[in-house]
Amino acid sequence: MNRTLPEMLHCLNSVGNLLAGNCTDMTVLDRQRARLKWQQEQLQQEEQQQQQDGYFNGSDQLNGIFFNPAQAGQFPGFQGLVGGVSVIGDTTANRPVKPDPSLENGWSELDRFEMSGIGFGSSATGLANGPGFQMTGAISRTSSSPPTVAPLTPEVKSRESFSPEKTSSAAGRESFKKRKADKVNNTKGVQEDDSREKRAKGSAEEGDSKITEQNSPKNNNTNANNRESSADTSKENSKASEVQKPDYIHVRARRGQATDSHSLAERVRREKISERMKYLQDLVPGCNKITGKAGMLDEIINYVQSLQRQVEFLSMKLAAVNPRLDFNIDDLFAKELLIIVIFLKQITIKQMFPACAGAGGFQTLGMSAEMSNSPYLQFNPAQQVVSCGGLEMGMNSHDMGLRRTISAPVSIPETFLDTSCYTQIQPPTTWDSELQNLYSTEFNQGRSSIPFSSQPFTGSIEASNLKMEM
Amino acid sequence: MTNSPKGFTLNNADSCRVKFARRFLRSLIEIKTRQTNYNNNLSSSPSSSSEIRRRSERIKLKAYSSMAHAVGPRKAWTRALLLKLHNRAKRHRFRTRKRSSLAMVLKKKRVFRVKNHANFYKPAAERGNYSVLNSDEKTEKLRELVPGGKAMDICSLLEETAHFIKCLAMQVQVMHEIADQLSN
Repeated sequence: MNRTLPEMLHCLNSVGNLLAGNCTDMTVLDRQRARLKWQQEQLQQEEQQQQQDGYFNGSDQLNGIFFNPAQAGQFPGFQGLVGGVSVIGDTTANRPVKPDPSLENGWSELDRFEMSGIGFGSSATGLANGPGFQMTGAISRTSSSPPTVAPLTPEVKSRESFSPEKTSSAAGRESFKKRKADKVNNTKGVQEDDSREKRAKGSAEEGDSKITEQNSPKNNNTNANNRESSADTSKENSKASEVQKPDYIHVRARRGQATDSHSLAERVRREKISERMKYLQDLVPGCNKITGKAGMLDEIINYVQSLQRQVEFLSMKLAAVNPRLDFNIDDLFAKELLIIVIFLKQITIKQMFPACAGAGGFQTLGMSAEMSNSPYLQFNPAQQVVSCGGLEMGMNSHDMGLRRTISAPVSIPETFLDTSCYTQIQPPTTWDSELQNLYSTEFNQGRSSIPFSSQPFTGSIEASNLKMEM
Repeated sequence: MTNSPKGFTLNNADSCRVKFARRFLRSLIEIKTRQTNYNNNLSSSPSSSSEIRRRSERIKLKAYSSMAHAVGPRKAWTRALLLKLHNRAKRHRFRTRKRSSLAMVLKKKRVFRVKNHANFYKPAAERGNYSVLNSDEKTEKLRELVPGGKAMDICSLLEETAHFIKCLAMQVQVMHEIADQLSN
């Protein structure tokens, strides 16, 4: 494509230059309108040329952009045009013959791309490729031929180009439908690809044969082989019209499964449900052995209810516990941040050292009052941030803390660790090294764009988990 | 996240956990301060059973709302839960006398609505398969449990249930730890 596109453009440009390039800046709509006009009116040779140029240009762009019916439509048009050229310049028999190999090459290429069925994109490029080739050939030829044969042609050419154009547009629409279906099919895993390919080929050849049939009375000498091909493909045409299918198929149906849309949609829905069920089965403990939707739902309901009951129970417990905490407000804030620190530490301990003997020591230490003084709270930046948020209960301080963590270099946590951990408490020495490693890894990972302040901490937890598992 | 039924990654879960812990602790302190003020004003005994029940109810609501806030409004169940709590608070402001439990009020309402919505989910029942029918009934039951579940189709209901279960488990864990810490 990349190789051929400049060629095409170059060719088109040359044609545009040749024909004063009026149509190069037309919009697609204008081109289509012009094309319609071209089909309906019988114009002069130059105008026709110009509009053909515009048409081809348009189809080229269509090919480039979204590969539309025009590719099938333009092709017969081109063939008609070639036929016209052949009639026009019937002094040379080899000129009309010459495009034919290229055409057949194009078709073969198209077929190849269809048959290969790699994917929609590749086939699209292939399709865009083929017409591009043919188009270039056509345009170059037409652009080279007209000056000599301009006076002869108008009515012949218009007649010729008109009648194939109709059929070709019909064929183009048809093939577009099929392409769409092909697209759907390709995205969803290809099973009926063969039949579709056949059909697409059939449609392509259908257009071909129709055109050749239309062309054949005019230029008998050139299109003998084409007539043969039309005779060959007439059977396929009938078959192709039979195998038309609706294009809303999203799922492939296995053998013996219903293929109408409702059952397909129902199947998709059921697959989704079973997927979710599987996920829930992993989530709910003791749900692995149960088979059947009803039992699983039962288990899920029980689990949710038990969790809610647990929440109720725990809130009762907290309510019963709460009055024992006799603090004034300042102490309560201190308590909160203390709790947060403890909590976070607990999480880390639980997640980092699941069977650590030091955990209990930490917990008891955490309950003592000296844990709430500041050097310990600067134990690591994430905790500091949390404590800031807890202390001042404001988003500003929070943001400040966040900024501090973001802008914190690697050295800061180390100093924190060095100053606080060794002086205040006696953590296990592994703790220190672990944290240092953690922070080095964390800052190496460059988690600077973190929306929430505690995420460095959780990230470090994750990293530590990974490390511990490794 | 949209195509996969997984709720959140480990990292996200941890951030949710920390957010929830912070919010919940803050609301606990709020409750505590309000209650101390209340007690100072009224000089009633702080540990009567009705008082504890009321407080536990409040704590539960706070736990739910902080969980929903921590998760964020991206999930349907959090939106439904927050709306529910908001409506309840509004209603509560009008009649502070009657302190019916949240669950009872909502259950009544839900059952009523589920009956209205039950027609939507006929196709499974129409097949006449007993187990499917049974599971359909159970789905209705699940709809009552998951907040906002009455307006979902079954796929999203299951997805939201998965997320809800995760968050509930997280909540239970955090509350357990806090309770342990406080009772020490």
